[in-house]
Amino acid sequence: MNLLNSALRVLFDLLLYPFQALPAAVGLLVVSALAAMGMLWVFKRTSNQERLEAVKRQIHAGLFEIRLFNDSFRRIWSAQLGILRNNVTYLRLSLVPMLFILPPLALVVAQLQFHYAYAAPAAGDQLVLTATLDEGWQDSGEVPVSASGKPQATLELPAGLVAETPSLWTPADRMLSWRLRVEQPGDHVLGIHIGDQQFSKDLAGSRPLQRRSPVKPGRSWVDQFIYPAEVPLPADGVLANVALDLAPAEVALPGWKVQEMAGVPAWMTVFFIFSIVFAYALRKRFGVVF
Amino acid sequence: MSFVPSTPSSRLAPYWPLLALTIVVAFAAPAEAYVGPGAGIALLSSVGVVLITLLLAVASILAWPFRALWRLLTLKKTARPWARRFISVGLDGKDPRITERLMAEGKLPNLTKLAAQGCYHTIRTTYPSMTPVAWSSYSTGVNPGKHNIFDFLDRDRKTYLPVLSSAEIGTVDKFLRLGKWKIPLRRPEIRLLRKSRPFWSILGDYRIWSTVLRVPITFPPDRFYGAELSAMSVPDLLGSQGTFLLFTTRRSDAKFKEGGQRVELEGTTDRFSTVIRGPENAFLEGDPLLEIPLEIELDRAAKQVRVSIDGEQHLLVPGELTPWVTLTFKAAPTVKVSGITRMMVTELGDHFSLYMSPINIDPESPAMPIAHPSYYSTYMAKKIGSFATLGLAEDTWALNEEVTDDATFLQQSYDIDAERQEMFFAALDTLDRGSLITVFDGTDRIQHMFWRYLEEGHPAAAGRDGAAHHNAIEEAYIHNDKLVGKVMAKLRKDDVLMVVSDHGFTSFRRGVNLNGWLLANGYLALKPGCEGSTEWLREVDWSKTRAYAQGLTGIFLNIAGREGEGIVTPGAEAAALRKELIAKLSGLRDEERDEVGINQVYDAHEVYDGPYLVNAPDLIVGYNHGYRVSWDCATGVTSGSLFEDNLKAWSGDHCVDPKIVPGVFFCNHAIDNHDPALIDIAPTVLRLFGIDAPDYMDGKLLFDAPPATLTGAPARAPGSSADAEGSNDHAA
Repeated sequence: MNLLNSALRVLFDLLLYPFQALPAAVGLLVVSALAAMGMLWVFKRTSNQERLEAVKRQIHAGLFEIRLFNDSFRRIWSAQLGILRNNVTYLRLSLVPMLFILPPLALVVAQLQFHYAYAAPAAGDQLVLTATLDEGWQDSGEVPVSASGKPQATLELPAGLVAETPSLWTPADRMLSWRLRVEQPGDHVLGIHIGDQQFSKDLAGSRPLQRRSPVKPGRSWVDQFIYPAEVPLPADGVLANVALDLAPAEVALPGWKVQEMAGVPAWMTVFFIFSIVFAYALRKRFGVVF
Repeated sequence: MSFVPSTPSSRLAPYWPLLALTIVVAFAAPAEAYVGPGAGIALLSSVGVVLITLLLAVASILAWPFRALWRLLTLKKTARPWARRFISVGLDGKDPRITERLMAEGKLPNLTKLAAQGCYHTIRTTYPSMTPVAWSSYSTGVNPGKHNIFDFLDRDRKTYLPVLSSAEIGTVDKFLRLGKWKIPLRRPEIRLLRKSRPFWSILGDYRIWSTVLRVPITFPPDRFYGAELSAMSVPDLLGSQGTFLLFTTRRSDAKFKEGGQRVELEGTTDRFSTVIRGPENAFLEGDPLLEIPLEIELDRAAKQVRVSIDGEQHLLVPGELTPWVTLTFKAAPTVKVSGITRMMVTELGDHFSLYMSPINIDPESPAMPIAHPSYYSTYMAKKIGSFATLGLAEDTWALNEEVTDDATFLQQSYDIDAERQEMFFAALDTLDRGSLITVFDGTDRIQHMFWRYLEEGHPAAAGRDGAAHHNAIEEAYIHNDKLVGKVMAKLRKDDVLMVVSDHGFTSFRRGVNLNGWLLANGYLALKPGCEGSTEWLREVDWSKTRAYAQGLTGIFLNIAGREGEGIVTPGAEAAALRKELIAKLSGLRDEERDEVGINQVYDAHEVYDGPYLVNAPDLIVGYNHGYRVSWDCATGVTSGSLFEDNLKAWSGDHCVDPKIVPGVFFCNHAIDNHDPALIDIAPTVLRLFGIDAPDYMDGKLLFDAPPATLTGAPARAPGSSADAEGSNDHAA
């Protein structure tokens, strides 16, 4: 997974490099078009196009039938039942291409998420850095502990970042937290020392469009899949992950500043709209029915 | 290899690992929010459809009380209806002699059963016995003098040139001009020239639904309470009544005489680039023809041809007709004209030829009004797929010109019949109360083109091996019998089923050049120095012409004040001339064959009655079996011999003496009138639904009283003629 993520990171960094200085919407427009084309290609090859076409035609016919026989309750209900039946078939037929599309799309979405979901911290912004220890951190004996049972950890901050608080220990969650303040935005690497072990967390803030991850994952497969933007923590370390509470980014469209809604990042809303519009616009060129 | 029915789960088996991965991924943030454009749209569309359906359901529920109230307030009262559904299966040109022979031979079991259950009669056709005339009388219940359809063609009274008798397509003369573009400010007016009212229109006044499928002379469609698909007179996209295209490497200066265009392919390689020419582009100055790029690539080794139409690829195998292919002509930004065609490679040897059927108006996106309501053709196309919309959909001209062969024509005919059956049964399944009227044309077209193989010595069969299609007509009758069986299986209580043909059929061995006869006998004169070999009577000296033949059975007098250059005084002179011509032409003999060519010539004033008599031909020629107007005469050529052999594949006909080609009439209930005529059906249908026929209708009721076999009918008086079950005068 790490190898795959490394490759994807390089690929997406290169792909999005030309858009670094441009508004987020521009890059998303291009990425959405490429994604739409890719999805159309997959959809065409993995779906039963003939049956989809036939079912869609029957759904349309049903809608016409309701209009045609609008004096007859019997005909209206019969047409509606037919439409619903065909709709179920349509969804079933769409499921197969969805199975093929979703895995690669998820990888793509995960990469885009770390380029577009989080805003670059500005001067004066406050961030909470949280290091979560492994479940068995005490067993190894490698972590020095204070009299109160709190793990001894030191923070190494680059110029431009200052710690506003000492570390706060939450034993139930095995979490050590610091509140940081950004004095000088830039590309920073934060260091955490626990015993002899040293850990780092990236914080990219020099440009609006950069790979920016709220979590540096541990070694678990799922964590790496979900947070592929940074090299995972070492497998023999005492930390499970390191997190920064980055602020969500907005995407400005003409006349509409898209914000995070119900947990859905702004970029994803834009990507969803753009890719659907592109897919609709390109479907005839690709000869795809959906 | 065995067939194991698959369950949904087994069908999905190959996808289980993928499904598992998808589930893992789908529930992992942030991918949970999005599943891609394809699947996303599928979900969106489905939700949209459900919402629209619910919306329509709610709207229909909310609107229903108001609609019901409106119906109650505006509904015209009817008497107690005798029937709940009237179903009419029109089998164009089904001949009683052939029908009776095949019934006697046991080859038409369903029609035999129908006759036994109800009745079978021959049915009187119209004067002339011609499809547009006969079906117009069928639908309106009046004689042609009241519905104004006397032939396929009429003439322009000023120019004497032929015009379509049933529809008039106007032009647009007002445009908004923007540079090279001109935007029409209104649509061209299309008028149906058939007068009077079809019975489905009257039924509609009483909110009785009718579905009318492909009944001739319904273009543009009637507006009534019901649905209609137009038929005869619907043009192709080029505006003609059926122009096929032939893309060929063969060089020829000869033009097709009938409805075809040859496009010569340039180049000696196996790749050709050309265009498909469509209709004129009314949006551009000069009205240039719309075009679609056509690329053809021959693969002789694989015996196939790759055809690319505007970038869309089609792989053709020689001798096989493609399904309907959509052609989209781009007229202006956002304005497209859509047509459908079928293609076939007819030659892939030293020469290459590609046949393209007439470009039908696309039913899914019609460029002209071919349905009522306007979306009905779209609905039907969605429901059953694309279908032929051209008035005369079977390409008889291509077979006449030997561009296609017998087998191809039969396939076209049966494919069109299959489309028609699908739409018929789709309509039947949704008919709870009302009428369904459909005409199937296959019998007519197949008899026109295959009669030559039915009888010994037909001149059109000379030099041809007709063995393969000797039974084509019989097979068409058997095919129709199966259709009737399927319909009978769907009948419910209180349904009335009628199986009707508009006329019978006979042989067309010899053509009669009536204009040649009129010229030879001094009734028609040519301009000095002319021989009469030009089409459409262009060489006629009208100042010396008293009569001329136009259309398939009509003779017009050159009446002063009516025709542009008329010289015959209306009244006594005209009557005397009619009488004179009747006397001379009735019984006209073909001395070469020692046969009577013309049985009887009828005076329009005696066979017609009504306000449109003035538009009728003055005389209607009733040809004998084996005779018909010659091809030359039909196209206005006066030269040539009076009688000549018909050598065309179009070898059977019905434009003869109406007395010798009655149609057939079957009904699942016995009728009281044992000498039915086509014009009797309209008033009878009205009566079945409790409506009195309007006084102007000429037809008589086929039932004196409600048939006893209709369960809702009151008891009939004892001794009533249709009292006994199975009462009929089955003439077989």
